[in-house]
Amino acid sequence: MKPSKIARMVSAGFLCTIFLAGLFAGGVTRYSYATQFRELPNSAPSTAHFLGTDGLGRDLFARVLYGTRISLLLAPAAALLSTLIAGVFGALAGLVGGWCEKVILASADLCMALPLLFVLLALRALLPLDIDPAVSVVATFVLLGLLGWPSSLRVVWAASRNMRRSDFVLLANATGCPRWRILLRHVLPNLRAVTFAQFWISIPIYVLSEATLSMLGLGVMEPLPSWGNLLRGLEDFSVVSANPWRMCPLVVLVLVVISFQLVLPRQEEIA
Amino acid sequence: MKHWMHQAGMRLVVLVFLSLLGGLLSATLVRFAPGYGVDERELDPRLSRASVDSIRDTNRLPSGLFSYYGRFLAGAVNGDFGNSRWLERPISSLIRERFPVTFRSVLLGTLAAWAAALAGSLVVAFLPGFAFEISGTVLSSTLIAFPTAVVAMFAVYLGAPVFAAIAVVIFPKLFRYLRNLFAHASAQPYVLAAQARGTGQARILSHHVVPNIAPALFALLGVSLSMGFGAAIPIEALCDSPGIGQLAWQAALNRDLPLIMTVTLLVTVITVGANSLSDLADRGAR
Repeated sequence: MKPSKIARMVSAGFLCTIFLAGLFAGGVTRYSYATQFRELPNSAPSTAHFLGTDGLGRDLFARVLYGTRISLLLAPAAALLSTLIAGVFGALAGLVGGWCEKVILASADLCMALPLLFVLLALRALLPLDIDPAVSVVATFVLLGLLGWPSSLRVVWAASRNMRRSDFVLLANATGCPRWRILLRHVLPNLRAVTFAQFWISIPIYVLSEATLSMLGLGVMEPLPSWGNLLRGLEDFSVVSANPWRMCPLVVLVLVVISFQLVLPRQEEIA
Repeated sequence: MKHWMHQAGMRLVVLVFLSLLGGLLSATLVRFAPGYGVDERELDPRLSRASVDSIRDTNRLPSGLFSYYGRFLAGAVNGDFGNSRWLERPISSLIRERFPVTFRSVLLGTLAAWAAALAGSLVVAFLPGFAFEISGTVLSSTLIAFPTAVVAMFAVYLGAPVFAAIAVVIFPKLFRYLRNLFAHASAQPYVLAAQARGTGQARILSHHVVPNIAPALFALLGVSLSMGFGAAIPIEALCDSPGIGQLAWQAALNRDLPLIMTVTLLVTVITVGANSLSDLADRGAR
């Protein structure tokens, strides 16, 4: 077996394990992410607390698991939203052409010209800082999904434009098939591989963006855990050097992002 | 030359159009943000009705979006972007103070990332070997998996300058793209023919590879500047560097929308301008 295939299988196994652990966090750990053990702040790993506790005495293992649930469920949701927007509008632009194509591509160019993090900060600043933690989670990932479509749209558009000149689309046109039917029955199914690749590529990007936003205090709000706000615990170097296990969320995050890169099929395989 | 001038003119028109449209979007967000035109002193119970009315008169702003945007544009033409609500200072003077800090960091960071990525991708492309290939892949895959804010935090731990953190963020993306570009170019039949004729690697690179990938390199130059400005926010915020990235972050935390919108608009114009310049430089070179 090729080393790349082994790496892909190991990464897929790791991602599945992490995903299931996050999904069934309540069954894996007996603690809630918000339960405080006030007599045990910054405690070392033990049989009661596998990864020790944070500065507020909360079980770090439970927080990593619940943070995994939030980051690994909502990042794909944001990726799905952006891929849907990119898929529908990209396919439409490539298939229809003319002014419709120009308008859609100009909108994508405009959005791509705006620096993502600056726009995210601006839009996030519209919301109050003390919003409900659950609202902050949804707002963060919806914003990521709504702003992340332009680069995927360009890829889908290029694939769809090539399809416009394909035999089956010409034949469908010649037989009087309406455009919406060509789009739904002929173009979109053939764009499945490209859109799936774009969806998969977007997930680690959103995981990393959420981490950066939350570390800046503008993402998921406490006490809800996410990988981003768990990383805020690393800001104090003296605490990290005295309690190296506090690096655990970072290690999980890095391994998950690397696994996403390894699992993604190569470009030639997608083609 | 005439064609190039035409292209430059078109690019300028696109830049102005994007700036106006970006400005309108910014104005829309500011105008419809909760609390627009409201002064928190109005809630002070010690103030009399007349004082509250006086404050309201002072803050009375154009109610319509377009009149607000028109006023913003008229001010912007004269270099006046209004005042920061949070710092209570003119936005133009804040940008004048902080922009050079960010520009220097982004420029140095981008140059350092380009130097490292070019060197790394050339080694991988022209010195074939499993060790080079695997170490390049592992390094770029690991670095790309770190959130920008974590890179900034490590920069603080290690006492590294801001530009070094920006370079670490940009490097893996540049390296991957350049490696693929060089690998693709060096596998072309004309490169293989040159190698078969015994042409030296340096000559192959300068006469056969670089001229053919120049358009992609120029495009990547513009994109890398955009990546640099994006990385500047978390890095400046966590490294306490007084640039516009830190200003944007503090403006977001203090809900100073006019300030954050002006900064976003400025960075947009710079990135679109950089992309246009790289495109024009490419056309000029050709």
